[in-house]
Amino acid sequence: MLSVFVEIITEPAIVLGLVALIGLVLQRKRFPDVVKGTFKTILGLLILSAGSALIVDNLAPFADMFTEGFNLTGVVPFDEAVIGALIENVSIIARTTSFILALGFAVNVLLARITPFKYIFLTGHMMWILAGALAWAFHDLGVGETNTIIFGSILQGAILVLLPAIAQPIMRKVTGDNKIAYGHLTTIGVVASAYVGKLFGDPEKSSEDIKVPEGLNFFKDTAISVSFVMVLVYLITALFAGPEFVGEFAGEQHYLVFSLLKGLGFAAGVLVLLQGVRMFLGEIVPAFRGIALKVVPGAKPALDVPVLFPYAPNALMLGFIFAVAGTVVGMFASRLIGTVVPVPSIIGAFFTGGVAGIFGNALGGRRGAMISGFVYGLFLSIPVALFFPLYDLAGYGIQGVAFLVSDGIVALSLIKAFFAANIPYIGLGLFVVAMALLSWRFKSKKTHTENPSA
Amino acid sequence: MQIVTVCGLGVGTSLMLKMTIQDILDAEGISADVEAWDAGTVKGRSADLFVVSEDLRSSLEGLDGNVVYIKNITDTDEIREKVLAALR
Repeated sequence: MLSVFVEIITEPAIVLGLVALIGLVLQRKRFPDVVKGTFKTILGLLILSAGSALIVDNLAPFADMFTEGFNLTGVVPFDEAVIGALIENVSIIARTTSFILALGFAVNVLLARITPFKYIFLTGHMMWILAGALAWAFHDLGVGETNTIIFGSILQGAILVLLPAIAQPIMRKVTGDNKIAYGHLTTIGVVASAYVGKLFGDPEKSSEDIKVPEGLNFFKDTAISVSFVMVLVYLITALFAGPEFVGEFAGEQHYLVFSLLKGLGFAAGVLVLLQGVRMFLGEIVPAFRGIALKVVPGAKPALDVPVLFPYAPNALMLGFIFAVAGTVVGMFASRLIGTVVPVPSIIGAFFTGGVAGIFGNALGGRRGAMISGFVYGLFLSIPVALFFPLYDLAGYGIQGVAFLVSDGIVALSLIKAFFAANIPYIGLGLFVVAMALLSWRFKSKKTHTENPSA
Repeated sequence: MQIVTVCGLGVGTSLMLKMTIQDILDAEGISADVEAWDAGTVKGRSADLFVVSEDLRSSLEGLDGNVVYIKNITDTDEIREKVLAALR
């Protein structure tokens, strides 16, 4: 029974389909509308994942080409691979992860109900990564199974409700309203980067206002600008990696033709992904109003990265390119630290570096987007290298991969610090106090802005 | 009946328009399918009524159906007036 439940809640399409279903039923929609809304939400999510798969597929040879072309080796930062391997290798971690995932969601809804943080975290794979990371941390520190589940679930629920709150002031600027939230474990990284971008940027000069000369107007089309950038990036990397190396991937194809098609395939993936976003967002946002109003008055859904892409496509590309540059610089810096060298995570740079660009643009215009992307690129590499020796992955028989998401790294480092200082309960207590203080401050601030005359 | 709301990328303005129109129609007891769509692919799609934000007027001439242009998409009264007039 539990395993079926876990399987459902780790499948984003089904979770969001259920959310749409419940929302539409609560709004007493007619039966055909309920069916339509539910199915279109699920299909939209599946189209979105098909787009993601296409993107990942077309990026696959890129990481290797990059390593070859620029002569670097190291660990591949990839959270799903780390958690997947942990669960595969250690059955206690697998069990506690499932419990933390399920109970943590309940804690999230409860906290949304009783605190001013009205966010319901709906990004399934991120919930799974955090649950797995918490299970891993407590197991590594020798905490028993029951306590792992209790503390893990509380932390899970609290973190999931706090993260969207951190990003929400910027989300309001990006989306122009207050209806959706950012639900991802890169929140601390992208928000911090965006504020750095703000220091140096000018919000008046939005990347989306970049005046393209009349004849180049077609560049404003997402399809064209993404294709152009990716083809360029791919071809340059291919030239550095050389025909022999790229030929191993290309087979019969000429290595430059292969790279050209990979770049275009990536752009096709982005378009598919956006179509899916459109489809499910069009259903889930209206449906979510139903749940939100009934169960948690004023609640907002915290959603995955791609929902932000359509709001600022130019900033997305700027964020991506500069995040790649940042990870490359970070990689050399990690080399000096002397632990491990994280290979640039191109997928991370595109998805979450893109968000850093979009957030940076909202706070600091086009220059803000570029600087935010670059700083976020550093977040994708240096903390990964610093964090790596903190928990012994090789001890679990896992090699070649590293943990990436900034919020997970912060949470697990804090847990480790409090255990190392021998005061885990004080740590938990401090966390609860901090949460209470934050929610008190948040509440008083909110009343203040709602009554400007007061 | 099919009503399609349109904006640049099909998730922001058009979605807000969609929800506003849905509320208006519910209040009037009119049943209709309201969908949000993007300007890039809306041409070639048919509907009984298209609701488009004013700034897209120049690039969206020649849609197959009735078209209503909205100046202020946060103005529920303007939307109600124009949409209901077009449906009558």
